[in-house]
Amino acid sequence: MKKQDNASPLRKIIFGLLVLVIVVWMLFPFYWAVNSSFKTEAQLQMTPATLIPRDPATNAMSFSPGNYQAVFRNNAFLRGFLNSAIVAISVTLLALVIGSSAAFAMGKLRFRGRTPSLYLVLAMTMFPQVAVLSGLYAMIVATGASAIPSMIVTYMLFTLPFTVWVLTSFFAGLPVEIMQAAQVDGANAFQTFTKVLLPLTTPALVTTGLLAFIAAWNEYLFALTFTSIEPQARTIPVVIALFTGEVSRQQPFGEIMAAGIVASIPLIILVLIFQQRIVSGLTAGAVKG
Amino acid sequence: MAGKSSDMSGLAKREERLAWLLLLPTFIVIVLIAFYPLGSVFYSSFTNRTFASSAPTEGVGIANYRQLLSMTIQRLEPVMDPDTGQQKLNARTGEPVYETAVAALPREPYRYRSVTEFSLFGNRYVIGATDPDFIKSVRDTLVFTVATVVLELVLGLGIALVINGFASGGIGRAALMAVMLVPWAIPTAVSSRMWQFMFGSTRTGFFNTVLWHLGLGDGNIPFLTDPRFQMPAMITIDVWKTTPFMALLLLAGLQLIPGDLYEAASVDGASQWRKFWSITLPLLRPTVAVALVFRTLDALRVFDVFQIVLAQSRYSMASFTYYELINNRAMGYSSASSVIIFVLILIFAVLYIRLVGVKTE
Repeated sequence: MKKQDNASPLRKIIFGLLVLVIVVWMLFPFYWAVNSSFKTEAQLQMTPATLIPRDPATNAMSFSPGNYQAVFRNNAFLRGFLNSAIVAISVTLLALVIGSSAAFAMGKLRFRGRTPSLYLVLAMTMFPQVAVLSGLYAMIVATGASAIPSMIVTYMLFTLPFTVWVLTSFFAGLPVEIMQAAQVDGANAFQTFTKVLLPLTTPALVTTGLLAFIAAWNEYLFALTFTSIEPQARTIPVVIALFTGEVSRQQPFGEIMAAGIVASIPLIILVLIFQQRIVSGLTAGAVKG
Repeated sequence: MAGKSSDMSGLAKREERLAWLLLLPTFIVIVLIAFYPLGSVFYSSFTNRTFASSAPTEGVGIANYRQLLSMTIQRLEPVMDPDTGQQKLNARTGEPVYETAVAALPREPYRYRSVTEFSLFGNRYVIGATDPDFIKSVRDTLVFTVATVVLELVLGLGIALVINGFASGGIGRAALMAVMLVPWAIPTAVSSRMWQFMFGSTRTGFFNTVLWHLGLGDGNIPFLTDPRFQMPAMITIDVWKTTPFMALLLLAGLQLIPGDLYEAASVDGASQWRKFWSITLPLLRPTVAVALVFRTLDALRVFDVFQIVLAQSRYSMASFTYYELINNRAMGYSSASSVIIFVLILIFAVLYIRLVGVKTE
């Protein structure tokens, strides 16, 4: 705390205020969603809107769990949650299996074409999904593939290059001596990879896996497009964007907020547990060359 | 390593074979979901291909691109008052009257419609386009990109400096980082819906309530339907969602600056401002450059927030492409729009790779 100790009291106050402003700015929209999710339709229609759910007549605090009950009775939502879990977990595993092999090759093996391969992967991390939207959609329509496998495969477009890129720099950073020692012990290159290096890579695998999971859980453009003819395959972002509620009303915002919070909870838990790893992964992808 | 002895070169060959074997799945995936569809998008962009249509697909040359990109500027003739010989004035507003844009814009061989009107050196002009929706989507996406990237950079730098004021490894820093990851982690679909509700057009919405309490506005400002407020609303939502990411990147850059430099500057009696301008900013430049290009690439393909909050009342380039494909089933036309986005992003991506480069060894 060296920087803080010798600071003047005024400085400390300004610093504290800045921290407060940042925290409020970052959390307030989320707080507002939580607040609204506990309001009944009548409470939502109150003008002016209240900072905590209040009874329209008595103005006493009054929380209603009705929106959450409705969300958990909503089959489209539950189905969406399940679809998202299937898609995000499959994408994560697939990206890690395919990505770690490629990363090992590029980080630790010598072969002609290594530099062009690295450039290709780096270029692919920036590939805009919308550029292939109609092409992928045409492929899916032509092959009659169903939406969930289509999403799992096409999500490789934004998860795989990133995974390979971050893992490659991690593999490259592992000391060569470890590989040499394993080879002296009679292991071939592939055994060295699976038995010796891969366990050492676990922290990096967790980091990139988390980022792949979050990206897949949140993806909207492909999910919306590919499920346009297959509504039962919709993932959670699509369900929330198209939410109509239990009975079809105009924009049931209480339920939408409740659904949005439930959909965000897995991500918030991941963020709280793996904060350090996520931050290091995010910056590794963008800052390290 | 290779070529020292026949045994070594055999080993090197095996290593090379293994490398390609391990890379193969990645390359197959890239070809299957990036190169092949990109090729088919490029090809389709020169056709009139339409989904679920009985009309045969034909090559149309550059017609899709011409339709998307054709623009013209026409001068609007003043409307003269036959009685006075002067330009007519609008009876209500007192503004001079010009002929309508429709009258000035060409109709043959392709019909141009008005994008916007402006005045310059006492003349009135209209900008027309054969597809004003697309031209507007390009304009709005560029405005969105410049505004969000600049705001996120400035605010992100401020936040990064505040976080950097905490001791590393301390609880305060960890707590603030966790808070910042919330907007970043939640799905854009969720945050778009949250903000859509906050921007509600009555006092059931947060912003109308606050402005009304402050005595500003009548509590019924239509933030999301009034064209004047739509872009600021989009920018506000994105800045909230993405500033944390920017701050994290810049924080990583701040941590690379050696502490000795600041200590040496303190010994020399440099003020905080002086240290910021002479040490922090210059040494942060590479990080800022990378973050800028990275964010620009991302902002140019913005889709979620535009599609969810504004739907078809206002497009980004990506949401325009989506609606052409899904609502109009215009595969060819949508593909041409995709190609234009791709080329635009490619230019920035090349810039990015130049900045970052690849460490080959």
